[in-house]
Amino acid sequence: MKKILSFIIGACFLLLLNTGETSAACKNVKIANMNWASAGLMANIDKIVLEKGYGCKVDLIQADTVPAFTSMNEKGSPDIVPELWANSFITPLNKAIKEGRLHRLNKSPITGLGEGWWVTPAFRKKHPEIKTVLDLIKRPDLFPHPEDKSKGGFVTCPAGWACQLSNANLFRAFEMEKKGWKLIDPGSAAGLDGTIAKAAERNQNWVGYYWAPTAIIGKYSLVKLDWGIPFAGKKNWDQCIAKPEKDCANPKPTAWITPAVNTVVTDKFKKNADKTLIKYFEKRTYPGDVMNGMLVYMTENQADGSDAAIEFFKKHESVWGKWVPADIAKKIKKSL
Amino acid sequence: MEYLLNFPSLGRETLRDFKKSVDSSFKEFSRSHGEGIENFFEPLLQFLVFFEKLLITSPWPIIIILIAYLTWKASQKLSLVIGTVLSFVIIGLFGMWEDTMSTLAIISVATFLCLLLGTPIGIIMAKSNRVSAMMSPVLDTMQTIPTFVYLIPIIMLLGIGKVPGLIAVCIYAIPPIVRLTNLGIREVNSKLIEAGKALGISKFIILYKIEFPLALPSIMTGVNQTIMMSLAMVVIASMIGVSGLGVPILRSISNQYLALGLMNGLAIVALAIIFDRISQHYARRIQKHKDILKK
Repeated sequence: MKKILSFIIGACFLLLLNTGETSAACKNVKIANMNWASAGLMANIDKIVLEKGYGCKVDLIQADTVPAFTSMNEKGSPDIVPELWANSFITPLNKAIKEGRLHRLNKSPITGLGEGWWVTPAFRKKHPEIKTVLDLIKRPDLFPHPEDKSKGGFVTCPAGWACQLSNANLFRAFEMEKKGWKLIDPGSAAGLDGTIAKAAERNQNWVGYYWAPTAIIGKYSLVKLDWGIPFAGKKNWDQCIAKPEKDCANPKPTAWITPAVNTVVTDKFKKNADKTLIKYFEKRTYPGDVMNGMLVYMTENQADGSDAAIEFFKKHESVWGKWVPADIAKKIKKSL
Repeated sequence: MEYLLNFPSLGRETLRDFKKSVDSSFKEFSRSHGEGIENFFEPLLQFLVFFEKLLITSPWPIIIILIAYLTWKASQKLSLVIGTVLSFVIIGLFGMWEDTMSTLAIISVATFLCLLLGTPIGIIMAKSNRVSAMMSPVLDTMQTIPTFVYLIPIIMLLGIGKVPGLIAVCIYAIPPIVRLTNLGIREVNSKLIEAGKALGISKFIILYKIEFPLALPSIMTGVNQTIMMSLAMVVIASMIGVSGLGVPILRSISNQYLALGLMNGLAIVALAIIFDRISQHYARRIQKHKDILKK
């Protein structure tokens, strides 16, 4: 009995000691870990910085975008969402930020992120003069459709994806059918990836829809096309391009909508956190190619976010070294 | 002790290198031979495109009359003809005509191709026990291996579209015709073959005039099964870019469109039942001949 008691007391003491060590600000930080690769990696990298650099105690909690935002907005937990795709709930998010419940620390945690039309690097090499979508749609002959060689084939999204609607409407907006194009429905995500892999492996021309950051983009170094025209306004996008064809009578040509992807934290976290830690979140912008490269590493080695985070700290010191003060960087490096 | 609790597997590194080398050698193969293989299948692709266009662009009454005629020819049952016509009219009314024609095109070509390849293989298997023993595990693999395992390499080789879809369908649907041809020919009464031999007929004529006709009911069951299995692959084929009834089904899966999924699913069922009944009645009619022969 005595033994057990002393054990419990000892354990409590240890616990106390342990918490005494961490600063009061980050005793128990919850970071939302989303189920896609880049978000998982970012959550794990943030965790290492907070734990090893600032001595916080961090829990990663599995969450999905909308539930994470709702819980954060209503309950103040999780404290940090590293990669929040906020397009669908931008109004309540802005309201929460205005009222001071949430803070947007980083407006673009990853550069070059978002959806768009991409081409294979082999194509870019052969035709450096084609830089924009406007240039490209004049040359359907460079992308022969497999089932009708006289037409150009544009690989769109599989049936049922939201982007299929946007692509179909943009296809009409740019009058691509008149110019000799035809949409190719790849049928599934595997089909879409397969067409890219096949074309890129054989240095063939390929044009189609994809999004970054993704391993496929990194693995085959796909090149995103500029649109050659500006974004034609939210009204055109929300009320026409994003709608089924029958609800979008007159689509206007436009660049793809820029996604609102933010790193968002709660007020409680921001108030209590170290100044340099807030600076870290503000500076922490991953260059798109580094992120894509990490995603390739993850798929090739079947690594999860935590393995990949360590690889990131080992390999890309030039990137993360600028995000934190020197002494913190040293601490992180020592812990690896 | 440790070796008893944890299976002594190959090291993580070794496994990774193994997987990587398999992957890269396949990619190498696809890079060097992919284009050639694609060109080899080009005529087939053109035929598929042509056939699909033919079915879609022909006026619908002609197609329905043609189908009714074929149904009558095969089954000689008025009720079946009426049911078939009715199903196609309903399919058309619900706006699924084009997709159904696409599916019909790929299924008929797939079935034809399976018969073209499967029957000779079945005959060879019936003639040689060794080939039969070798082919059995291959057929088992073809029927049970998860589709996506071979879909990805096929996409790498041939891209997406009709030909890879056709190949995927055939891999899954060819085993029954092979097996049942084999079975049918093996079950032919050996006395009849002996009689043929005694008359000095050549092996080929024995096969063509005695074995094949007598095995026909069993082969027809194989045809029936092959059609059913290729219809079951319609949705999977749509996952690699084959147009047809599978596309709206995939759309309804990702968007929870209940009615759309059900409608197109039932259209596939209707096609399956029509094909099934026609081929069964045809087989039964052939069997009747056999019964008369016996008497």
